[in-house]
Amino acid sequence: MIVLLLRRVALSVVTLFLLASFIFFATEVLPGDALDVSLSADELAMMSPEVLARRKTELGLDRPILERYLGFMGGLVTFDLGRTIITRAPVADIVAMPLRNSVALAGMTLLLALPVALAIAMAAAQAKGRALDNAVSGAAIIGYSIPEFVTGLLLIAVFAVWWPIFPATITASTDDPLSVLLAAAPLAIATTIIGSIAYLGRILRVGLIEVMAADFVERLHLSGIPRWRILWLHALPAAMIPGLSAAALYAAALVSGVVVVELVFAYPGIGAELVRAVTRREVHVVQAIALAAAVCVVLFNLLADLGIAALDPRTRR
Amino acid sequence: MMRALLRRPAAMLGLSLVTLHILVAIAAPWIAPFAPTSLLDVPLEPPNAIYWLGTDDLGRDAFSRLLWGGRVAMLVAFAAGVVAVLGGTLLGLAAAWRRGIFDDVVMRLVEMKLAVPTILFVAIFVTGFGQSVPVLIVAVGIIQMMGVVRTTRAAGIVLMEQGYVRAAQLNGESGPVIILRELLPNVADLMAVEFALRASSALLLVSALSFLGLGISPPTPDWGLMVEDGMALLESEPALVLAPALCIASLVLGINLAAEGLADALGLDAARGGGG
Repeated sequence: MIVLLLRRVALSVVTLFLLASFIFFATEVLPGDALDVSLSADELAMMSPEVLARRKTELGLDRPILERYLGFMGGLVTFDLGRTIITRAPVADIVAMPLRNSVALAGMTLLLALPVALAIAMAAAQAKGRALDNAVSGAAIIGYSIPEFVTGLLLIAVFAVWWPIFPATITASTDDPLSVLLAAAPLAIATTIIGSIAYLGRILRVGLIEVMAADFVERLHLSGIPRWRILWLHALPAAMIPGLSAAALYAAALVSGVVVVELVFAYPGIGAELVRAVTRREVHVVQAIALAAAVCVVLFNLLADLGIAALDPRTRR
Repeated sequence: MMRALLRRPAAMLGLSLVTLHILVAIAAPWIAPFAPTSLLDVPLEPPNAIYWLGTDDLGRDAFSRLLWGGRVAMLVAFAAGVVAVLGGTLLGLAAAWRRGIFDDVVMRLVEMKLAVPTILFVAIFVTGFGQSVPVLIVAVGIIQMMGVVRTTRAAGIVLMEQGYVRAAQLNGESGPVIILRELLPNVADLMAVEFALRASSALLLVSALSFLGLGISPPTPDWGLMVEDGMALLESEPALVLAPALCIASLVLGINLAAEGLADALGLDAARGGGG
């Protein structure tokens, strides 16, 4: 168990190291450098070569790429994410609160969507191949075929425009307490939950059906235990394992969904910050957001893996 | 195989939706009543006999833009699907054939993909390489590729144990020959299903990116962009938003239904959960 734990942690660190390197090289090395892409062609033409050279020295862009890479990685170890190119504000300050808000939205979504998805998947698995199961599968296909921004807009159209019981966009600000922020965002949360249920329910249904086809279930069935009892008392604990792997697989997709939904509802999270940073070519902010998201997903995967290891007697040996 | 598809009503519905969208996209220059980017001097006209879906805030005919709006997104999605399936299959089969360190490295890459949200992956590329259709195709293709690597590698490992592959190996055939002649034909079914699944999630991704302003750039008519543009007008002119939204959803649904039917007909399991 300890060995497994250490192995998983080490693998996560390797993954994060590789990701950080990828993020650095993809954003900073290939065409031009951070300063060139952050300035428009007009601005670039206006600047004298001396000014440009001084700015580059200030930003450390005149150093060789390997040195900058080591500086970047060194900064990460000491939690120094650098400063923005235009305003020279510390990147960590810009990203911290939006990140907190996005994590809260994602956490709230998982907390509410997982039990619902599990309940739907159980109902479908119990009725495998019958009308209810087919209806659930059909609804799931429709659910994950509709992009989050479309679901969000439909909810706005229905619950904010035609029947105005909820606000269309979120008026709470970035630094508000989470309770205020989440209370102001019912439609945003509903949107991410709908997408999550479709995705998780589909994977969980397959997991549960697999468990129900296992030998031990067959044996319980033959000893006369009713199907619902097997499902709740015996298959459900076994299905927690596929449930956790589904949630782990889903973590990255959830971040993508959250980014989009934040833009639909003007939710003050990393999504809005990301789009602003990419369009302004604030390379360090993009790097910081990408890294923060990767750390969250990797941590979540690690926790899910450890949960699986704790639940599954086969990995415990 | 075609007959198996014909017996599945959901798959047929999906196939018809996809065919319809592709035909409209191809025919758009001939059937659209107006040019998609021409400013007609009648902004925010409600839907009427001349402008079927009304005009947008710049006075462009929304119906014409709708007919054009899937072209670039579909091009990117299908091209990315091809990149993903060809690259992913070759990489997956090579990993299955070679195993060892090469396999470990490939699997590490696949696992890395699980930690990067797709939208962020493309955003990183757009930051580094600029916002253009080729960059989109490559970035979306690479991120979709990782899922293909996983399934084709798994299929390849099973195939490597088969007698005829063993025989070819004992004959001293080289790696490329084994991969291309022995393994590749046996994963053709899987590749077809993967292509459909990857194209549908690529389409979702591209639309979302365009909606965020990180995908296809204006003034190209595009559904994702149209939704974003029309969002502020949801109350007064809902058609401007709902029509392109419906187009994206129906096309993706069509591809997914067709993929599901295809996988079912071929005896493969489509519900492995790709996406993201």
